[in-house]
Amino acid sequence: MGEGNPIVIGILAMQGAFAEHQVLLQKVRVERPIKIVLIRQVEDLAKCDGLIIPGGESTTIALLARLAGLTEPLREFVQKKPVWGTCAGAILLSKEAEGMKKGGQELLGGVDIKTARNGWGSQVESFEAPLYTEGLREPNRPFNCIFIRAPVITDITPSALSPPVQIIARLSALLLPRGQQIVAEDEDDTDPRDPQTVVALRQGRHLVTTFHPELTKDDRFHEFFVKQCVLPALEESK
Amino acid sequence: MSAQNEPSRAATPALSATGPPNGAAHATAAPTRSANRDVGNSHLGTFGVKSGLAQMLKGGVIMDVTNAEQARIAEEAGACAVMALERVPADIRRDGGVARMSDPQMIKEIIDAVTIPVMAKVRIGHFVEAQIIQAIGVDYIDESEVLTPADEQYHINKHPFKVPFVCGAKNLGEALRRVSEGAAFIRTKGEAGTGNVVEAVRHQRAVMADIRRASAMNDEELYVFAKDISAPFHLLKEVARLKRLPVVSFAAGGIATPADAALMMQLGCDGVFVGSGIFKSGDPAKRARAIVQAVTHYNNPKVLAGISEGLGEAMVGLNIDDNVKGGRLASRGW
Repeated sequence: MGEGNPIVIGILAMQGAFAEHQVLLQKVRVERPIKIVLIRQVEDLAKCDGLIIPGGESTTIALLARLAGLTEPLREFVQKKPVWGTCAGAILLSKEAEGMKKGGQELLGGVDIKTARNGWGSQVESFEAPLYTEGLREPNRPFNCIFIRAPVITDITPSALSPPVQIIARLSALLLPRGQQIVAEDEDDTDPRDPQTVVALRQGRHLVTTFHPELTKDDRFHEFFVKQCVLPALEESK
Repeated sequence: MSAQNEPSRAATPALSATGPPNGAAHATAAPTRSANRDVGNSHLGTFGVKSGLAQMLKGGVIMDVTNAEQARIAEEAGACAVMALERVPADIRRDGGVARMSDPQMIKEIIDAVTIPVMAKVRIGHFVEAQIIQAIGVDYIDESEVLTPADEQYHINKHPFKVPFVCGAKNLGEALRRVSEGAAFIRTKGEAGTGNVVEAVRHQRAVMADIRRASAMNDEELYVFAKDISAPFHLLKEVARLKRLPVVSFAAGGIATPADAALMMQLGCDGVFVGSGIFKSGDPAKRARAIVQAVTHYNNPKVLAGISEGLGEAMVGLNIDDNVKGGRLASRGW
């Protein structure tokens, strides 16, 4: 692969905020050009080096993917290549989900977490909060995290064979939804044992955020995904 | 994000660009700078959070439902949200009388039945109906001309509410007046309950034409244009820069087929509302699913052809003239 070869990043464009991801991804500068493909059909997926699953309604995205014949190709993609899921995308990447629609819904899996849909409740409980992150550019500048009917990560248990989990951002336990609040014995409200406080994590080449970096003007998560997930995966596969 | 780099009409701007003019009370959270790496405060109900949910609905279909069973059919068909109301617009036209907010109990049953966002309508200007709807935990309020207006002069001041609002508009000036009152989401008015897409097309074309006009203007011209269309200057200037509305914009009013939905998407809408078109048709589940697919694949005639096959009876349409049963709803609101 030559220096000028573009990195191809797909954005699943079934439903949701895919155009917003596109705008931020266009701002990211790495040594190779980035080509963005909106994924609506199976053919679009084959050429991608990495994939973003945007926020939207997880039930809608899953159904449209099924109707477009994308479900199995997506599952295979997740096994082989880097994927980043934001909010609804994070639910789809989960191994298990709670609060699913009646009769259950399809997930893609790929990340060893369990999520609870709409963990904070309805839209009036949606919020934004500036959080510090580990591993992004300019770690001392907080990232404005926008949570819209966001899922809550209720369990993180990497299996013996899967890569370790790296926590990127946590929320203060005080901001957790009612019923999930941790009664802290000590002053430290970011107990590393509490998965509910984790709002951004990475496992191997996959990235999960329960909030929406695509609703900000801040491209640091997009840069992180390209530089820390997609590029290293391309290096390995050489 | 410069205007030149805007990839397409579909990208709604990041939240800071769309903050309300008098939104001091709901300003975006300022990052904290404390040395001990404490997290900052969280903020509920900011404009970013309100418009953010609309951004999550993009590329989706919001369906009118009148009970929990219909809501489940809509969810299974891939609706990205449902609009809970007692009578669909076609029945409001047929029955006449005053149309009001729905029974909160019925809305709560729908909220319990589905996991997708639930919206509900309130009458134009009826801020107490809005307070009640907010209190029962609805995700979005539609201040809608489909219900009988409660105030012939004032729309609801939507800024103080934590729950976001969607409002109808026939042209750019009306859309920006609603945004300045705090609407985080705009839809065409169309002519609800007719199954006739012509008015939605008229409104969407009018908005897009005015956006194109504004984006070619200099500041002197924009001041006069703002006066002419009775829109706040700062929002018009933002439109000129972005070459689109500063909030998500959907089509509504008269959409009855997958082709109607794709037409509105190709005319620049971010998604569609379907009211009477689904549950007044022969096979609601099948038609609903087809319209959902049409909004995703709106630019692919081959896919559209496939999903348009064998959908059964569409709703009976009405011609829109001055004698249309129930009158022209789009003329409500100011």
